[in-house]
Amino acid sequence: MLKVENLHVSVEGKEILKGINLEIGAGEVHAIMGPNGSGKSTLSYVLSGREGYDITEGRVLFNGKDLFEMSVEERAWAGVFLAFQYPVEVPGVSNIYFLKAALNGIRKFQGLDELDAMDFISMVKNKMKDLDMDEKFLYRAVNEGFSGGEKKRNEILQMSVLEPTLCLLDETDSGLDIDALQIVAKGVNRLRDPKRSFVLVTHYQRLLDYIKPDYVHVLAHGKVVKSGGPELALELEEKGYAWVDEKIAS
Amino acid sequence: MSVTHLPNTHYTSLLSAHENNLVGQDVSWLNSLRKKAIEAFSVTGFPTLREEEWRYTNISPIEKKQFAVAEKPGKLDAAFVKAVLLEGCYHLVFVDGFYQAEFSSMDGLSAGVTVSALSEGLSEHESLVKSLLDSTVETPALGFINFNTALFTDGAVISIEENTVLDKPIQLAFISSKEAALKLTNSRNLVLAKASSKASIIETFHSVEESCHHTNVITEVVVEPNANLSHNRLQAESLKAYHIGGVYSRLENNAIFNQSNYTFGANLSRCEIHGTLGEASDCTLNGLYVGQDKQHMDNHTRLNHAQPHAVSNEFYKGVLGDNSRGVFQGRIVVAQDAQKTDAKMNNRNLLLSDRAEVDAKPQLEIYADDVKCAHGVTVGQLDETAIFYLRSRGADKQTAKNMLTFAFANEMIERIDFEPLRMAVLEELLKRFPQAGMKKEWL
Repeated sequence: MLKVENLHVSVEGKEILKGINLEIGAGEVHAIMGPNGSGKSTLSYVLSGREGYDITEGRVLFNGKDLFEMSVEERAWAGVFLAFQYPVEVPGVSNIYFLKAALNGIRKFQGLDELDAMDFISMVKNKMKDLDMDEKFLYRAVNEGFSGGEKKRNEILQMSVLEPTLCLLDETDSGLDIDALQIVAKGVNRLRDPKRSFVLVTHYQRLLDYIKPDYVHVLAHGKVVKSGGPELALELEEKGYAWVDEKIAS
Repeated sequence: MSVTHLPNTHYTSLLSAHENNLVGQDVSWLNSLRKKAIEAFSVTGFPTLREEEWRYTNISPIEKKQFAVAEKPGKLDAAFVKAVLLEGCYHLVFVDGFYQAEFSSMDGLSAGVTVSALSEGLSEHESLVKSLLDSTVETPALGFINFNTALFTDGAVISIEENTVLDKPIQLAFISSKEAALKLTNSRNLVLAKASSKASIIETFHSVEESCHHTNVITEVVVEPNANLSHNRLQAESLKAYHIGGVYSRLENNAIFNQSNYTFGANLSRCEIHGTLGEASDCTLNGLYVGQDKQHMDNHTRLNHAQPHAVSNEFYKGVLGDNSRGVFQGRIVVAQDAQKTDAKMNNRNLLLSDRAEVDAKPQLEIYADDVKCAHGVTVGQLDETAIFYLRSRGADKQTAKNMLTFAFANEMIERIDFEPLRMAVLEELLKRFPQAGMKKEWL
């Protein structure tokens, strides 16, 4: 589904990613772990198409297509979704209208008709129930005045409404208490599907207690320095990121 | 070197040419009022950039165009009129500055309310007209006020009796027909809300075609003690029009006045919203101006806190795209006796292009020592992070920008309680910032 080949990315002349290689198959869950400043967030932003990043080398194929030839919205239409580490507040745009506009954009791309208003609302309300979200959030401005946990839940709600095929979760566990983390993880697990892949970008192992990854990659200094199964995350948790640095040094 | 501004001879000659051809020409006090205005205008002419209050708005195109006076109403398509009339209102329709009974309807108007066109009801309501006309505008009057006083052809006179609540808003629709091209119209509205009455008035301005015409309309408002008057203004004229408007109000003790001012149309527009606030009166001014292309929109508010304990809340927002230019001048004067005044003024502007411009100038003049006054002005652009966020969810770039622009402006539109007006204002906004799939029920 996603193939990252020798990806080099610079920000304002400074190289952040120094040759990333990753291959993510359909239905797989990959965790990308790493210390602060390792380039984890850069990777998720570059994949979603945020401006301000220079791709100096390498390429990314999404279902065989060059991702960097696609605009931000084209990536969304094709099924790429980034759950933001810091979801953006959009004053004046209600959640319901935002969701509807987003879903219709994607359905239009897929050649589908707009969803009927009643069907849409009941579909969204059901998904909100799953995420233990109050219906009043529908009519509030997107993320405005939401707590950290509410914002993260709102990201997962958008993900479950838009049903992307590649879900990038950037530090989704940060700022969540244990209850909220479990709810969010349940929401993600409910979306697991043989046709849908996940990339969980995280600093800590605790998210992986609730969302079991198939593969774990350790990112340090802009490179994937180690890949393995779920046991790698536990090893990291136990030994800390300094262990990775030692391994690189040796 | 001193430069003297010579009044435009075209317009001074119009004044004398039409002085025998206006509403109330047989009413002697009105004639002498008009004569005084003609004399004053002959000296001052229209304002120029040299005047501090006009330094951002150059009205010389109005002088150069040499508009002729519209002498009779043009023909209108009934469908056009129907489209601009708001549901759930009484309607007075003026075409090219003349009342048109066939399009108007005051059916079911309750007792205790006087509504009439000046052209029909001047003799019946002469004392009312006399008490209101020129009673709220500042002295010495500005060029456009004198010009209007000298030349107004019609307008509405409205009086709400004491303790009367008007059941529906009154819409005054001013329509410029095809025949109004290169013509000017002058209208004057007079509104009296007597003690403890409550009413709502909506003025709307439209053009049948994208033609160049000039509208000069002044509304004078008196709100008596404990009365509550809402006054709304929607200017959606042709993008080639020149619109000069004014709402001059006097709030007596404990009066409540809510004025909302929505500007979308005209090549050049200037709107004066002035108020003098009596003791413990409450004045709210809301405004939105949305400019595109080369539009120039000037909103000039002036609140005079003359007495203690009055409250004023002013909030204007501007959206300026392309090469458009907005001007906001908000002036609050707190007189020495006006202790415990509470005045707030806020002006926020969104610039959508690097060629758009706004000149914002809040002015506080405070002569009392125990008051609360606050003002703030912001000028900004769309938030790039928010645009990225919306696009990453599947909104295309233009839709994302339109959504955010819409959201910015909608804050002012949400404040309109009366739904037909809110929808009419929204429609004007959506015409300029279309959004795929936008439906009423999402708002």
